[in-house]
Amino acid sequence: MPISAEYVAKETASNLWRNRLMTVAAVLTVAVSLSLVGAALLLKQGAARAEAEWQRGTEVMVWMKPTASKNEVAAVGRQLHALPYVDRCVFRTHQYDYHEAQRLVGAVYAESGVTPKQTPTSWRCTPVHPQDATAVIHTFGGEAGVLRVTAPLAQIRTEQHVINILQWVFLLVALVLLVSAAVLILNTIRMAIFSRRREVSVMKLVGATNWFIRLPFMSEGLVQGLLGSGVAAAIVYGLHVVLDRIGSSTTGSVLAQMRMTGWEVFATDAVVVVIGILIGTGGSALAISRFLDV
Amino acid sequence: MIRFQNVTKTYKNGTVALRDVSIEIDKGEFVFLVGASGSGKTSLIRLLLREELPDSGSIWEAGRDIVHLPKWRVPYLRRNIGCVFQDFRLLPNKSVFENVAFALEVIGRPKHVVANQVPQVLELVGLAKKRDNLPSELSGGEQQRVAVARAFVNRPLILLADEPTGNLDPTTSQGIMQLLDRINRTGTTVVVATHDEVLVNWMRRRVVELDHGTVVRDQQRGVYGIEGSAAATATAAAAVAGPPSGRVAAVAGPPSGRVAAVGGPPSGRVAAVGGGRARGRAQERA
Repeated sequence: MPISAEYVAKETASNLWRNRLMTVAAVLTVAVSLSLVGAALLLKQGAARAEAEWQRGTEVMVWMKPTASKNEVAAVGRQLHALPYVDRCVFRTHQYDYHEAQRLVGAVYAESGVTPKQTPTSWRCTPVHPQDATAVIHTFGGEAGVLRVTAPLAQIRTEQHVINILQWVFLLVALVLLVSAAVLILNTIRMAIFSRRREVSVMKLVGATNWFIRLPFMSEGLVQGLLGSGVAAAIVYGLHVVLDRIGSSTTGSVLAQMRMTGWEVFATDAVVVVIGILIGTGGSALAISRFLDV
Repeated sequence: MIRFQNVTKTYKNGTVALRDVSIEIDKGEFVFLVGASGSGKTSLIRLLLREELPDSGSIWEAGRDIVHLPKWRVPYLRRNIGCVFQDFRLLPNKSVFENVAFALEVIGRPKHVVANQVPQVLELVGLAKKRDNLPSELSGGEQQRVAVARAFVNRPLILLADEPTGNLDPTTSQGIMQLLDRINRTGTTVVVATHDEVLVNWMRRRVVELDHGTVVRDQQRGVYGIEGSAAATATAAAAVAGPPSGRVAAVAGPPSGRVAAVGGPPSGRVAAVGGGRARGRAQERA
């Protein structure tokens, strides 16, 4: 039997309007729960972004002896560039390192009588993965002309640990929220359908097929899911804007490192809307099936 | 049209609703199912609608074995069966017209069919003028008329009524019965489950009595037959045993008096109707 789109649209519109209190309840439930899910997902992505940011900042420093010859410096540089797990390397001169030391340590450095000539030169390398820093240390530890190889290993480990935990926590929170959102939304839809079981029983009585009964309910769920997740997506976007503003005004903070591109926010919003649609339509189909089985 | 063969139905809680019931109802018959509450009338109706399945036995309806009917065919079966209940089951937020039209819309009938059929059937049940009223604005009898219109608008082969007059006063009940009778005259098989003694005795149609899930009586042109009611039994005996002329007398005679006693004023009308039907039958036979 053909089910006309006009019938479904008409029924959907009139049912949504007639049960507008339930419609509003369902839309709000979807909006609130999914915006929490979206926020958790956004924070998880922020943590991932912060990790990438930290990784980019990790440097291994190969300090050359102040007395090292030009050939020794060049040889170490060539070897560093040849390593597959080293992303890029920059050479810093006596002068640069002297000024950097002065900046970090303060006037004491200059007062100690060390001259720029006595300050070691250095190769600053960024490994592809922060954990590769150890390999660089082992490889160049005993090379000719190399004074010392240093990397903020302990710091890298702690940072990675914290970020990993953070990501898991956010993901877990998102999942828990998703499950509770699904239950909440399902319950609201079921309430809405339960309040109309009379109508469903009449439809069954006069011989409407199950699909004929199900479709308007599913399209109602779709509309509710869309509206609710649309609101949720807007809330998530708003959260992103707020975080972004705070992040941009406080450079160097965690929030600054969590700043996301538009695409990542868009992806989160897309996930939120898809979940909303699935829960809305699927939930309605599930909820109505109870009343169809007579 | 309907055939029950050794049907037994037990509910999950162990209640035996029907025990080895065999009934045959022909096309165009008007049958009363009578019996006390819990005798199995409603179970029988539910089985006919295939809201329930029997434990054993077979049920045939409009030439189909409905026990072995695949689930997806059930809606199509129900399009051949109209159903009326004690509580009307109208949708409170739809108008009279919309309630009746709903029955056609949800089985996918095109608009012009709806626009054509609904006014016709509303005319038949005498509610053409109230088409835009909501059920809450109608009397009980009018609401039941809407329910009958909804059940009949698709011209089903069978019309089932489960206590259709249970919530109505005697006069209004008679009106509903006359309406069901009119529908029966169009060739529709009508099955009415009731314990309205007066109506059954007045209508003089086939009576199937159930008691604790078994058929204890099946009479053509029977009466309700309550134990201790000598008058009713006597009438039944006269109606069943007597010659055709006697039957006509039985229909036109005593029941009108009985109805008058219960229903009051409309006795004259009722008598006229009873007489009219009797004449009709007599002509049929002649």
